[in-house]
This record gives sequence, structure tokens and C-alpha cells, in this order.
Amino acid sequence: MTASAYQTVLESVENKFGKALEKIVDEKKLVKMVVEVGVLKKAAAYLRDNHGFDHVKAVTAVDLSKLLKKENKIEVIYHLGSYSRQELYRADLALSVKLDKVNPRAPSLTDIWPSCEYHEREVYEMFGVIFEGHPDLRRLLLPEYWSDIPPMLKDYEAPGR
Amino acid sequence: MWTPTRAVFPGYYKTGIFGYRYADSKSIVEMVEETEVPAKKVDETIKSYGVEKVHKAEGVGGVQYFLYRFRNFRLIRYLLNWGRMASLFPAHITTACCSVEFAATHSPRYDPERFGWLPATGSLRQSDVLVVEGTVSAKMAMRLRLVYDQMPDPKWVIAMGACAISGGLYAKDSYNVIQGIDDILPVDVYVPGCPPRPETLFQAILLLREKILYGRAV
Repeated sequence: MTASAYQTVLESVENKFGKALEKIVDEKKLVKMVVEVGVLKKAAAYLRDNHGFDHVKAVTAVDLSKLLKKENKIEVIYHLGSYSRQELYRADLALSVKLDKVNPRAPSLTDIWPSCEYHEREVYEMFGVIFEGHPDLRRLLLPEYWSDIPPMLKDYEAPGR
Repeated sequence: MWTPTRAVFPGYYKTGIFGYRYADSKSIVEMVEETEVPAKKVDETIKSYGVEKVHKAEGVGGVQYFLYRFRNFRLIRYLLNWGRMASLFPAHITTACCSVEFAATHSPRYDPERFGWLPATGSLRQSDVLVVEGTVSAKMAMRLRLVYDQMPDPKWVIAMGACAISGGLYAKDSYNVIQGIDDILPVDVYVPGCPPRPETLFQAILLLREKILYGRAV
């Protein structure tokens, strides 16, 4: 993907959402837009309809509470890709949102990209993020008898021996 | 009459089939019982893996108790154990890469059939030994216990590889790998290695034979 294609996407999103777009990280391998929770769904729909990002490659999350800046937040990241526009074939645009760690809630993007469903279930079980409007929010991989806190949070302590 | 001293041939000069002993010396039965590591209390640790019900034999009483005592007379016990030792049907549960070495052990180069260890091709409901190869995840724990419960008595367990012994590569900081299968099963022989070479597993087979021969008849 050429830099100009990214540039047009970023510029148009910036024009459209203005202040709701908190930050743009543009590094060598990753272009990431951090948006507010309120406009996440609108931004996702805008990217899908106007820029041809028609699928989600992965949904991940990061617990920021013990990283360098020690923000008490969980960041959920959607990695977007495109099959329909040739100049975006190799694109990996990250759309991310930072949530409060005490009560992490985010709108589900399953009605925009149906492929989010299982990814969001995994984020739900590993980080405890609740996706509102998700059709089937159950745990995915952990054992049936799991009763501890979500294991990917930094507070989690492995049982060990 | 000349009798060999312990320094010459430690412990092994009184290993007659009935375990006879002279003076204050120890029989090999006592030596095996002494060196045996006490089994962990599986009943307590297994509860944290979501297993609520464990299959257990009924308490020994009445005729059963009489039979148990009868089986443990020295000559009868020896004959029983000798028969059991000489024909072991293993069932193996493959959870990781140790199975490759397990297969290599059965090759003609090592040939464990010389010692009565048969190829692991049967049903686990007709097997004597369970070989657990490799990492057991937390979700697998109750399934592994189910496999063990389905085997008929008497049964023995070999924990093969570092992962099955202590979690191995995933020890201490994993939320998803159980830290040694002796939390959920009573283990008889531990085979160290990552993965163990066929010779190591072969040694475990010989050790298990020894344990069966000189142990109690269930």
C-alpha cells in the first residue's frame, strides 16, 4: 500500500470526525487511529462505506495499566483490511479505542463487520470487555470451570506451583 | 560358608523370589517400598480442575478383604505380579510432541516387546498402563481423568516428558497448562526429558516392571 492511500484515508477521517479522533499513530509498520468510544461505530461504518475496508483481520486488546505511561485503561484494537480496493490490498489499518479499566464497555461492531463475532468473544473472555449489542457474548476458549479474573489482565497471577 | 557382603553386591544378594532375608538385612521389597515417593493427595488437588466426581472402587471389606489378603501372600503375590509385569498393554494419550519418541520406542531397534511391552493399539478399557505424553491443558484435565477412570484395575501411569511432570516450558506463569499431571492422576513413573529419548522411556518401562514385580498386588 502506498503512503498516499493511507494519507487520503486519514485526512478524510480527520475532516469528518475532528476532535473525536484522539490521535493518529503513524509508524513504519502500523497506522493507528485512536477514536473516542462514542464515535467508534460511526467511524467504523464510515471506513467501511467510503474507503472500502470490508473486513476485520483481528481484534486484540492491551492492558495499559502497567505499561510505560500507566494509564488505567484497556485499549481494544481492530485491524482492518480491504479486498475490494486494489491499492488497499496490503493495508493494515488499526482502529482503536481506549476504555476505562474498571468498567470496560464498548459498542460491538458485529453488525458492521460480522467477522468480529468470535474475536470479540475472545477479547471478552481474556480482558473482560463487554461488547454491547453483541449477538452471542459467551466465553470462547477458557475451561468450563473458570472462576478467576480474565487471565490477560496485568493483575492476574498464574497459579503456578 | 562364604556370604557376600553388602559392599560387594549391595542389596541384591537376598533377592530370592520369596523375598527371604537373613539377619538384619533388607529384602528388595522393603528397599522398593522405602525409596518410593509418597503419592500426592490427588483428591484434594483435583477439585481445582472442575472434576467433581471421581470413580473409585468400593471400600475393601468382607470377601474382598479376604481376597486382598490372599493375593498378598508372598508366593501368590509374586506369581500374580510376575504375570502382570510380563504382559503390559499400554494406552497412550497424545497431547504433544513426545508421541514421536513414543512411536520410536516401539521400533525394532529398541523392541520393547522383549519385555512384554506391547504396541499401543488397543482400547483403553483393556489396557494396563496409561502413558501421558506432553502438555496437558487445563481444559484437558477432566478429560484425562475420565480416560483414567475408564481403565480397569490394576492400572499404572507413566508421565512422559517435562510438560507432563511439571508443566515444563509452561511452568509457573501459565494460566492454561496444569503444572504436572500428578495433580489429577496418581503417577507411577516419571520420565524426564524434552522430549525424552527412546532409551529413557525404555528405562521407564524397566522401572515400571520392577515396581510391579515387587509392589503390592491390588
